[in-house]
Amino acid sequence: MHAAISAEEDLADVERVLSGDVQAFEGIVRRWQGPLVNMAWRYSRDRGRAEEMAQEAFLRAWRGLAGWRRESSFSTWLFALAANVFRSELQRFPAVNVPLEDAVEPAGPATQHDGLAGRQSDEAVRRAVLALPKRYREPVVLYYFHEMDVAAAARTMGLPEGTVKARLARGRELLRKRFPQLNEQSVPAFSSTLRTKKEVLQ
Amino acid sequence: MKPIVNPETDRDADELVGRILAAEEGLIPSSGFLAATMARVRDEAACPKPIPFPWLRALPGIVLAVAVLCWCGFELVRVGLANAQEISLTQLHLTAAAGRALEPAGWVAAALAASMLSWLFARRLAGRSGLL
Repeated sequence: MHAAISAEEDLADVERVLSGDVQAFEGIVRRWQGPLVNMAWRYSRDRGRAEEMAQEAFLRAWRGLAGWRRESSFSTWLFALAANVFRSELQRFPAVNVPLEDAVEPAGPATQHDGLAGRQSDEAVRRAVLALPKRYREPVVLYYFHEMDVAAAARTMGLPEGTVKARLARGRELLRKRFPQLNEQSVPAFSSTLRTKKEVLQ
Repeated sequence: MKPIVNPETDRDADELVGRILAAEEGLIPSSGFLAATMARVRDEAACPKPIPFPWLRALPGIVLAVAVLCWCGFELVRVGLANAQEISLTQLHLTAAAGRALEPAGWVAAALAASMLSWLFARRLAGRSGLL
């Protein structure tokens, strides 16, 4: 999804903005508003807040555009900057105050085939991610945001891939412990109701 | 009792968590998001740039302040090292004159404490009577 966004267009718009054309920034916002709002949504799970945070990230990007060294792609720079903004915003006002132990239990296996109950239990797992300790939460959020690309998540966080992998494993383990019923359910049973984003797009 | 670890089940559970998290539908930004963001960017662009700190003018003062601090530090260390050799570790005794001067201090402290107590007592009484 992100790769499809033209790097040349980004570069051209950045050059225009740096030469004084404020309007050229609109192209950047237009192309990246979806990914950034989605990323903020995964950090906060609050639509209004996600848009506010994404807007703040765009504003910081606009201010710091001259600081983008062309060593990395524009998207890598933008995502890293956005992650910093979201992190500090959530430090000021945390998204969830519910500890992992108090996260809502998903419905039992018997009701998983019911569409609404299934969606609710999925949402419980997604919300539980926000209740993970900070060091494990961000790798999990970014790994799935980047469509399970460890390298991209590591670049966004500015951490080595090995560290991200280790934190990811620990994050998953904490989720597993929190929701032991996940161990009791088999994946094929879900495969009919759950489809990955890629499958949906196809 | 150690928990029973089943790598197969754990892998399945991980895959399930992965599927749940990956299957999340994307959020579409609201229709006004682009306009609102660009409005903020334009506002920011219209603001005059902040006046940069006049480093050149401040430089002599900063250099002077650093020099004075360095000199003070140097003097402190130099004097301290010179006096360190003269310090003996024998117990310090107050001179007789200093001891005599400190004698009434106890009485002064007692008088201050008595005044404080009487003030607190008076305040308490006044509080009860509604005067305060």
